[in-house]
Amino acid sequence: MDISDLIKPDHVIARLRATSKKQALQDLAKRAAEITGQPERALFSTLMKRERLGTTGVGNGIAIPHGKLSTLDQLYGLFARLDQPIDFDAIDDRPVDLIFLLLAPESSGADHLKALARVSRLLRDKPTCEKLRGTDDAEALYALLVDTAASWAA
Amino acid sequence: MLQAMNFAILIGAGLIAVSALTSLAAQRAGAPLLLVFLAIGLLAGEDGLLGIEFDSGPTAYFIGTLALSIILFDSGFETPTRSFRAAAGPAITLATIGVVLTTSLVGATAHLLLGIGWLKGLLLGSIVASTDAAAVFFLLRVGGITLRDRVKSTLEIESGSNDPMAIFLTALLADLVVAAPDPSADLGWQLAANFSLQMGLGLLAGVIGGLAIAWLLDRLSDLEAGLYPITALAAALMLVAATALVGGSGFLAAYVAGVVAGNRRVRFAARLRRFQIGMTWLAQIGMFLTLGLLATPSEFGFAILPGLGLAAILIFIARPLAVWLCLLPFGFSARETAFVAWVGLRGAVSILLAILPSLAGVPDGGFYFNIVFIMVLTSLLVQGWTIPLTARRLHQIVPLRSSLVNRVELELPGDTELELVGYRIHPDSAIARGERVPRWARPVLIVRNEHAHSIHNAGPLRPQDEAYLFSSPRRVQILDKIYGSPVEPDDPAIFGDFALQAGTTLAELAHHYGAVVESPTPPETTLGSLLMSKFRNQPAVGDRMTLGPVEIVVRALKEDDSVAKVGVVLAPERRRRLRRWWPWRRLQTRLSVLRPRRQPRRS
Repeated sequence: MDISDLIKPDHVIARLRATSKKQALQDLAKRAAEITGQPERALFSTLMKRERLGTTGVGNGIAIPHGKLSTLDQLYGLFARLDQPIDFDAIDDRPVDLIFLLLAPESSGADHLKALARVSRLLRDKPTCEKLRGTDDAEALYALLVDTAASWAA
Repeated sequence: MLQAMNFAILIGAGLIAVSALTSLAAQRAGAPLLLVFLAIGLLAGEDGLLGIEFDSGPTAYFIGTLALSIILFDSGFETPTRSFRAAAGPAITLATIGVVLTTSLVGATAHLLLGIGWLKGLLLGSIVASTDAAAVFFLLRVGGITLRDRVKSTLEIESGSNDPMAIFLTALLADLVVAAPDPSADLGWQLAANFSLQMGLGLLAGVIGGLAIAWLLDRLSDLEAGLYPITALAAALMLVAATALVGGSGFLAAYVAGVVAGNRRVRFAARLRRFQIGMTWLAQIGMFLTLGLLATPSEFGFAILPGLGLAAILIFIARPLAVWLCLLPFGFSARETAFVAWVGLRGAVSILLAILPSLAGVPDGGFYFNIVFIMVLTSLLVQGWTIPLTARRLHQIVPLRSSLVNRVELELPGDTELELVGYRIHPDSAIARGERVPRWARPVLIVRNEHAHSIHNAGPLRPQDEAYLFSSPRRVQILDKIYGSPVEPDDPAIFGDFALQAGTTLAELAHHYGAVVESPTPPETTLGSLLMSKFRNQPAVGDRMTLGPVEIVVRALKEDDSVAKVGVVLAPERRRRLRRWWPWRRLQTRLSVLRPRRQPRRS
């Protein structure tokens, strides 16, 4: 499972402006709707449902919201770097400024888990996060995400 | 005459001082300290540098018995009832059935390998059948690791309570070897009766003695402060001797009395503890030094190969097998079982018991002593040295999160329980960020750059200040949240990639992460209640269970010790396939019928 299988260059938002967790998820759902062709509302409610079980803000300014939809045909990833950190109810109470969104079809058991584990591992790496925070160019962000992950795989 | 006496004092005290000082170097090297004490004893002995000739088995046994009584009383005293609630079942099974299993396995191997008779083989097995309380306690507490609760309690209680069993078996087998048993039919009955008498009396004496010691200490408030802990210790030693004189197990009585007295709120418990810490150290050093002195390395020649061979059998086969069988009904994970098996340290008790055959008149008693000595050395070296490493690799360590730097129990009249606690202020802590803290949680004293300031003239608090305040022991956990780092542990290998509320149901977990439970657990079961029942309402942070492709972990507990947050581990490390092995699983289901009913929670 490579990060490049999950995310395409136009799935990266370099400067997302949001003031709250809800708004950020709404904006991401909207963008995801354009990419996947799914209704925005269904995407948003799937994400919110998952947040209710426990926050996906995993600490150190990172959030990995995710969810499953029966109507999706494949895994989709989206990355957003926020202009201003927002409160995300993260486990360490710190504001979040890097969000990796992962959407999966209902039937994708092992692939979904592998992808989540991959993203989680990628964003636990503090140097990578610092580099991501220091860039506001979508292409550069994409390159960072894919290259870092690929250099580990090698 | 006086010269000789002074010389003896000089040597004795010198050895103890050297042992104590060596602890510094040994800790830095990670060497098991008790091994170092033993080595110093060997070096000072007849084949070593000082060439001290000491070969009096009875004297060594006398010193060892005294020392062991002190160590066992103290280890009982330091074992809170909480540990028993978490681990009494597995620990007692290990301390009884486990000892018998180890004895038989090592005995059978010795019989086959060394070509000695069955009884002699079993005698050898029983000598090395108990784990050493001193070694286990020491390595688990001082080794600088924080073990997960249930595993730690199991190991500590096991090591404190299995000596009486091993002593009983050794004494019995030694008698049988000496007086070649006439194969009368009622031997089994005699055995059973003898066993019940020893253990029953030991238990009874321990409980009564413990209550009596606590009662006595509570009524002696006028006693001179320095005499107080001495009275307690003397009473404990009297109890050991008296119990043994009437035919009970004195060591069992010492341990039980320690547990009973230690868990009743005796007055001046703090003072008693401080004294006992010192006494236990002295007892350990004394015992290991004496046993090291007693040994004669030049006689080891013939014992080296059999000793190493049997030690390997003990470490890699007998102990793991016995532990595995004993822990089957208690739902330990493969990693937990493996760790318990590895911490089967043999120590002074085994060497002490190896003197017993000679004392009982078994021909060729030195044979046992030398082989056992090699086995103990091997166990201390191989297992003792690798405990922190093994604990880490088997994920048995919980990161220590407290920023508590100092904790002093205060002795106040009446029932007031107060401690003076000191915290180093974490830069991200609630108090450093200027949040409001409850009145009772405000510091009274600030230590900054090694100078003490009262809170009134310390000015604003700074990170790295040490804040001191008075607190009841129950509030220490809350204080940790105020003064310590607010960050939840984020090592995903231990606490999972994502945190879920305990109210998340199995169905929801299955939807998101494909987790499955094989048994007929209803899908609306919450993860919290699943973990509660898996760990018998005694969950500890870090406890985990496998659900299909993922693992769930207890992340945080509520005030009432129920599960508050659960972590999901997405890519659990490949654990050994042992669990899916069918006979194991079938046995587990069968034995689960035998599991004790869940205990009602304490109020």
